[in-house]
Amino acid sequence: MAQSSTYDRTLSGNPQSATGRAYPNGNPDLGYNPPGVRNTDSAVPLHRNKPVIHDYACDGPAPGNLAFRWTYGSNVAARNRDPRVQVVQYNEDSFVLRQNVCVHWEAPFTYLLFGNEGALLIDSGATAQPHHYPLRETVDAIIARWGKARGRSRVSLTIALTSGEDAAQNQGLVQFVGRPDTTIVPKPLDVMKRFYGLGSSWPSGTGRIDLGDRVIAVIPTPGTHKDGVSFYDPYCDVLFTGDLLFPGKINIGNDRDFIASLERLKAFAVSWPVKWILGGHIEMMFVPGKYYPRFATYKPYERVLEMVPALIDEAIQYAREVKGKDMMLIRPDFVLFNGVSPDQRTQVWPADVPNINPPRPF
Amino acid sequence: MDRRTFLTCNAVAAAIPLSGVALTGLADAASAAVRPTPIDFKSNLPATGSFPRKWICGSLSCMDNKDPPVQVHWYDPHTAILRQNKAYSYEAPFAPLYFGNDRVLLLDEGFVQLRNDWDLRGVVDQCIDDWCRRNGRDPASLELLVAFSHLHADHYAAVNQFADRPNTRYMGLTHEEMVGFWGMTNFPEERVTLDLGGRDILIWGSPGHVVSEFAYYDSYTRILYTGDMFYRGRCYISFWQPWFDSMKRLIDFCDTHPVAHVMGCHVEISRDGQDYAYGMTYQPDEAPVEMTVQQLREAFAYAQTITEPGIYFTGTVFLCNQTRGTTTIDKNPYRYS
Repeated sequence: MAQSSTYDRTLSGNPQSATGRAYPNGNPDLGYNPPGVRNTDSAVPLHRNKPVIHDYACDGPAPGNLAFRWTYGSNVAARNRDPRVQVVQYNEDSFVLRQNVCVHWEAPFTYLLFGNEGALLIDSGATAQPHHYPLRETVDAIIARWGKARGRSRVSLTIALTSGEDAAQNQGLVQFVGRPDTTIVPKPLDVMKRFYGLGSSWPSGTGRIDLGDRVIAVIPTPGTHKDGVSFYDPYCDVLFTGDLLFPGKINIGNDRDFIASLERLKAFAVSWPVKWILGGHIEMMFVPGKYYPRFATYKPYERVLEMVPALIDEAIQYAREVKGKDMMLIRPDFVLFNGVSPDQRTQVWPADVPNINPPRPF
Repeated sequence: MDRRTFLTCNAVAAAIPLSGVALTGLADAASAAVRPTPIDFKSNLPATGSFPRKWICGSLSCMDNKDPPVQVHWYDPHTAILRQNKAYSYEAPFAPLYFGNDRVLLLDEGFVQLRNDWDLRGVVDQCIDDWCRRNGRDPASLELLVAFSHLHADHYAAVNQFADRPNTRYMGLTHEEMVGFWGMTNFPEERVTLDLGGRDILIWGSPGHVVSEFAYYDSYTRILYTGDMFYRGRCYISFWQPWFDSMKRLIDFCDTHPVAHVMGCHVEISRDGQDYAYGMTYQPDEAPVEMTVQQLREAFAYAQTITEPGIYFTGTVFLCNQTRGTTTIDKNPYRYS
């Protein structure tokens, strides 16, 4: 038999394997030295006398992945012993933090991004009390470790929210009050607009947060919240959409704004590459169209966090269907709630979505 | 012994033929020697008792909750009321434990199955041990009946924790087994009397929230336990006419019997009438579980005006008339125009 290094699934690893990865043992066709290798600083010298200048320029998305399953609470929330803040390193300069669902049912995601001149924390969690949810302590420790590796004694921190009014994302902010080298984007809508330089161009303009060779774009996206913004990271090619678009029950605050913001995101995604959309929560299950109820503290069948950019189009299409109507509408990866209770239920199941019942947790 | 005898005859009397022949005098003499004076459950009624000023009601962060899995409150020396911790399940139902001279009756459980997650069985055993110590009894002499108000998992989930407990009987999980457990042949109108040994529990059908539901009246404390068809929160009415008829049955009962308290299985409302939404695990200002007959009558009067499905507030409870599959009370706080 001819020997070949070309990927052959029968010989080199079955994609149906437990990891579910398309190439469980790697794909030799992609070569051993892809360009993204230069976007890593793991081999910094032992003795450094000046800060490492990281190369944030890259072709396509910077290497990185979400390689771990999220903690999902426990049947008895009081007996849960998972970390209060789950930290997953996406890559050396990007971290995803998740609040334990047994501390707060919203289990929001918080993102920490680093550039050559500072760090950005996107959102702040649903719990203020540091002994329940030590976000500040965790962020400080990640920044300290990152700073040590990069030879920086001071790393300035900016904290921005996808919505200042969202109690599921703004509660942790108080933990950072008085922190040195820290800028907190003001919560009141008018002040926030001015901070981003959007005082006169909201919601059509785009703001920026420069982390040093990594410029995060600030895109006004009201619709679920009147002060909603999304962030775009041109390094990882990720859109952070908070409550606007996430795999869960999307409670529309204003349907005209919601559609306009999705269209703004769509236009943005035409001119900028988007690998993934990362929202603020997960409420969907891994079976299409099924979701966890509010306040659930045990979510063993949770969907993955990441969404593909094509979902913007789907969201626009179905947001137009619910526009002007008090109704909910189920799609495989999200559910739209317009003008109805967040606990609204429906007897209508979409004809094009397979109806699969996941097992009960007990 | 058929079902009727089981219900009406005193369990100790029934036990004599079993122990009489095979076991010799020693056991009989021993039990006779320690056999205490029966407690009188028929005089000085109703027994005075009290509910806690405030029940344990969850916490801001579930995983930081240090309260016991089950709160045990002794309403009076012969009546315990158990409540599941909200951080163990948002359902957190209440579960009365009634003691008689010969039997103990546990009504309802909580929404967690396994003993390693919450040891309801251990808590019930401890209550029985405590009561026996106070009253000079042998716990092994008491039969435990594990029953529930209705056929929903938050009321029976822990039932198999009792599978290996001696001298214990529990309800099956079908309508037939439930009705049969109380020896009824004419559900829901038929009212049967369960004798716990000098303490009578009156039981009749109370369908409406679900088909398979009972009302339980304890003649000693005069607590009328109305399950999930009437409780301080959202009474999910799945079938209007059967529910209305069951309410009428409760009212008729109150017209002819003294009732000290009306008690449901859950609390989902604050003292000032705010709804605690379905699934919440922290109810810092929750209303008391006990209600008055007057509140029951007011709710029934209100119900007589209801002609359409919908959610109605009687001043005491929410009547969610056939809305379960569609809507709820809560609103999106972030709506704007």
